[in-house]
Amino acid sequence: MNQKAVEKLLNPLPGGKIAAAREFGVDLNSLAENLRLEPQERIEKLQRAMRFIDEVRKQGELTRQNKKKNG
Amino acid sequence: MVELQPAIKSLVDNQVQFVLVGGVAISFHGADYVTQDLDFCYARTKENLKRIVNALVPFKPRPRGFPENLPFIFDERTLQGGTNFTFQTSIGDIDLLGEVAGVGGYAEIEKTADTMNIYNEEVKVISLVNLIKAKRAAGRPKDLFVLPALEALKEAIDETADEEAGE
Repeated sequence: MNQKAVEKLLNPLPGGKIAAAREFGVDLNSLAENLRLEPQERIEKLQRAMRFIDEVRKQGELTRQNKKKNG
Repeated sequence: MVELQPAIKSLVDNQVQFVLVGGVAISFHGADYVTQDLDFCYARTKENLKRIVNALVPFKPRPRGFPENLPFIFDERTLQGGTNFTFQTSIGDIDLLGEVAGVGGYAEIEKTADTMNIYNEEVKVISLVNLIKAKRAAGRPKDLFVLPALEALKEAIDETADEEAGE
């Protein structure tokens, strides 16, 4: 079923929700790629993204602190 | 950031009746959305509250924003005293929802929940239809922002299911 759903996402019919999502700016290729993944793979991808954002936040905080310290 | 595997494993190991909702559910359904916490809807039976306490106590939950110097006891009475809770724990932020706006409580959500296999466990995840209802009801910019992607996924999956039913 997922393969057919992937094809629908990649070939949206005019006037539908998929086409509206594309207009809104949703990356349909990314949704299609996610649908090809197993649930376990999707959660692992989410956890990796969480770690990345967490690391970026920490680095940002560190940079701000250093800037303050160094005037 | 929350460590998903230990949190979910502990809930399953302690036989907690729960359904994943929120940002993690959005990812499960295939949309691109990065959350930093784990939200789940739970059954409010006395037995289940006991199981939740057993599952989360090892992670030392405290209400988010609660002063560090004040004592806090996490037990069944705490959970009986409220419906929705936002906790910080040693493995990250975990939110417990007795009710999900726009959908209802555990019984309503569990009825149509999808069962997904993760970490070699069967875990229930809020249905895409109910997730859309919940996000629409929550109505915050971050909820509304993800709606077009969820609705696109629903259309793709629904149409495929309809075609397969007709074959």
